[in-house]
Amino acid sequence: MDSNEHDIYRAAIHGDRDAFEMIIHSSSRTLFAIAYGVLQNREEAEDVVQDTLVKAWKSRWRVRDPGKFPAWISTIARHRARDLARRRRPEPLPHDFESVETVEPRTEPGNADLNCEVQAALSQLPELHRLAVTLRYFEDLDYATIEQTLGLTNGALRGILGRALGIMRRKLKPALASIA
Amino acid sequence: MSTIHEQIDELLAADFHGELSATERDAFHAHLVDCADCRQAFQEEKTMHKILNETIADKKADTGFEQRMVSHFRDRVPQRPGLIQLITNLVRLRAVQLTAAAALLLSMVQVGRLITGETISPMVRREDGTSLQDSDAPKSAPGARRESVSPLAKTDTRARGADDVSANTVSSTTVAGMLAQNPAPPPAQDKAESRAPATKLKKSETKDERSQTETTTSESPESPSTNPGPTTNRKLVRNATAELEVASFEEAVQKITGFVAEDKGYVSTSSSEKQANGKLRGEIVVKVLPDNLDRFLLKLRGLGELKNQALTTEDVTKQYFDTESRMKNARLMEQRLIEILKTKSKDVADLLEVEKELGRVREEIETMQGELKFMDSQVQFATVTVQLAEKNMNVPAAFLLKERAQLALFATEVEKTYNEIKALASPKVQITNAQINRDNTGRVSAYVYMLIAPEESEAIIARVKGMARVENFQVQTERVSQGGDGLGENAKTERDKVVLNITVSREEQEQPLQQTTLRIRSSEVNDRTKQLRELAEKQSGRIRSSSFSRDSNGREYANISLRVPMKNYSALMQSLNALGKVEDVTVRRDDRPDSQVNQAEAPADVTIQVYSQGNIVSEETGIVATLRRTIGQGASALMWSARMIGVALAFLAPWILAIFGVGWVMRRISRARHARKQHAEEEGGVS
Repeated sequence: MDSNEHDIYRAAIHGDRDAFEMIIHSSSRTLFAIAYGVLQNREEAEDVVQDTLVKAWKSRWRVRDPGKFPAWISTIARHRARDLARRRRPEPLPHDFESVETVEPRTEPGNADLNCEVQAALSQLPELHRLAVTLRYFEDLDYATIEQTLGLTNGALRGILGRALGIMRRKLKPALASIA
Repeated sequence: MSTIHEQIDELLAADFHGELSATERDAFHAHLVDCADCRQAFQEEKTMHKILNETIADKKADTGFEQRMVSHFRDRVPQRPGLIQLITNLVRLRAVQLTAAAALLLSMVQVGRLITGETISPMVRREDGTSLQDSDAPKSAPGARRESVSPLAKTDTRARGADDVSANTVSSTTVAGMLAQNPAPPPAQDKAESRAPATKLKKSETKDERSQTETTTSESPESPSTNPGPTTNRKLVRNATAELEVASFEEAVQKITGFVAEDKGYVSTSSSEKQANGKLRGEIVVKVLPDNLDRFLLKLRGLGELKNQALTTEDVTKQYFDTESRMKNARLMEQRLIEILKTKSKDVADLLEVEKELGRVREEIETMQGELKFMDSQVQFATVTVQLAEKNMNVPAAFLLKERAQLALFATEVEKTYNEIKALASPKVQITNAQINRDNTGRVSAYVYMLIAPEESEAIIARVKGMARVENFQVQTERVSQGGDGLGENAKTERDKVVLNITVSREEQEQPLQQTTLRIRSSEVNDRTKQLRELAEKQSGRIRSSSFSRDSNGREYANISLRVPMKNYSALMQSLNALGKVEDVTVRRDDRPDSQVNQAEAPADVTIQVYSQGNIVSEETGIVATLRRTIGQGASALMWSARMIGVALAFLAPWILAIFGVGWVMRRISRARHARKQHAEEEGGVS
């Protein structure tokens, strides 16, 4: 993060609306990607982004270190999206990878639309993995930015993304093979 | 190679995302060439990457998304005016929050302190005991305690001193010690008195000659003859004075002369004078031998009551012997000069000189001889001055009876009465002061002061009393003794001139015998008032004052004050009933049983208020007033409860803040723990 960005975050924390609007411009897409990653629904994701921004403005004074502002606002978005998802689906999201694998029904591959299949595979990933994939493909962000946004340690994302894409690849293997 | 194969998922993803370093990529691509499985995976990954890019592209946020978000944000969070913004921002600053909390706490404590009236005074201030705030009993205690030490000690010493006086115990040393610390009035005198109660002689002696030599004090009457050794060498001049009250002067003088003869002394002078009341007073100067002085004084006490006695001793030893040795020298000188005169009688001038010198020396010798003789005579005889006075010296010779009379009159015509009184003047009735005062309100009063010969006084006073109505008459009699005070059995009493002070005032000023106030309610105030006036005139009453008023509520009031003679009072009261309903009757009667007032003619005051009932509800009782009072009381009750809440908060605030602080820390801890667990879960889900 360069010093300019840092200053903007600091100004926003101290109540500068213009600075905050600049932040909206720069990070709302990322937030949208996060929300979509959790919810897999555009309308709901947009609502979540709006709520997140308002909430962030109202409680901005809680952030003491301006450098942590992006991670903080992402966390808000993630929590709100998760709340919404929980309300929508009373049953808990499948967190455990093993259970996902066993529960997941083997639909007939190849015949159906490949896009839908990719979508399904994506939605069955654990949340963190799904978020990583969404952020990467939505906004084409580099690994460092994604790590910062999700509050991950340096270099952790490479493993997470690798695992996520690996799972998807294995799941979609027949369909992919047919295309290839 | 094997590591690359195992990490194929990660490397594939990173390769497509362009996140591999150059060396990594080279190694990876080299492996792909070697490994068929991995090549297969690379192909699949490539396809999937493409599909993902395509599918997600149309799920992406549209181009106007950011703008939409901003406008939405503006709608939901409206811009507040600058000041409020500033305040809300300020409030969110941690430092401001802390300051505000501290200020709140402080103010609560202050309020509580104000209300409970308690002071938070540190112990240090108590110790110095000079704090201005500390004015109440517990606070002034230290100062008082510190001070109380000395008074305690004082009283203690005094008490002990008293004990000493009565018991003569050894504890006097402690008293002395205490007294050294406290320069309080020392009871030394009392002690001395109590120590030697046997004779007052010693008291006076010790008092007067404490500073003198031991030998002087050793001449106390207890040991005059047993201890004569040192006195023989000493030349002491002793003088005594005594004041006696005796039954008969002549007898006392006789006795004293007898005593003196017994003790081989003589009466040097005696004088006496006779008082107006026939009593004698005098003085005798007696010379006695010093050794017999004390015995003589003791005898004197037998003559009558000793009022006063003093004994002084003057030591002239040194002076005596000085003079004596100087005289010896002068004698030697005289011898020498005589010899010179005898042997060397050649030069006439020298002879004359020697003769002259001889004359001077002889003169000196004579003077010194005279001095020595005088001293001898002084020492040889002690001088006692006795003052004698007969008993009841102050019995008065005569009494004068002074009478002073004061007479207050009420007259219808002050001036006429005044002139009548003045006409009484005659050689036996002297007017010392007469004046008549008339002030601008028309009030007239007169004063006449006169002196009347005693035999005429009764008749004159009776005549003046007959001129007008008497309000008050006082006689004061005083018996003045002449030539002394006390009771004189034989003294005769004379009547002096009688002083008579007369005050004449107009009848109007007379205090009424009876005062009545009443109210009459009637709708026609004016008519009733007129009727009332007529009624009063019929009963020979006089209207003293009247007033009429109408207030804002439409009520009319007429106040009438009138005076009637007592004999017509009841008739008037009966006739009043015809005017309307009589209310609130108050009667006050000042009975003066001893005064010579003519009851029937004495004035009675009646104050009547005639009033009408107003139609309008007054401001004091209306619904608005009730409402006003209710609100006022409610407000004061609210203020009171707010004050009480302040007190409660002042006591509770520190605890509440402490509890909140602990709660806040606990929440932080639990939240941190929760976040760590969640993180671990997410991580654990992957690995």
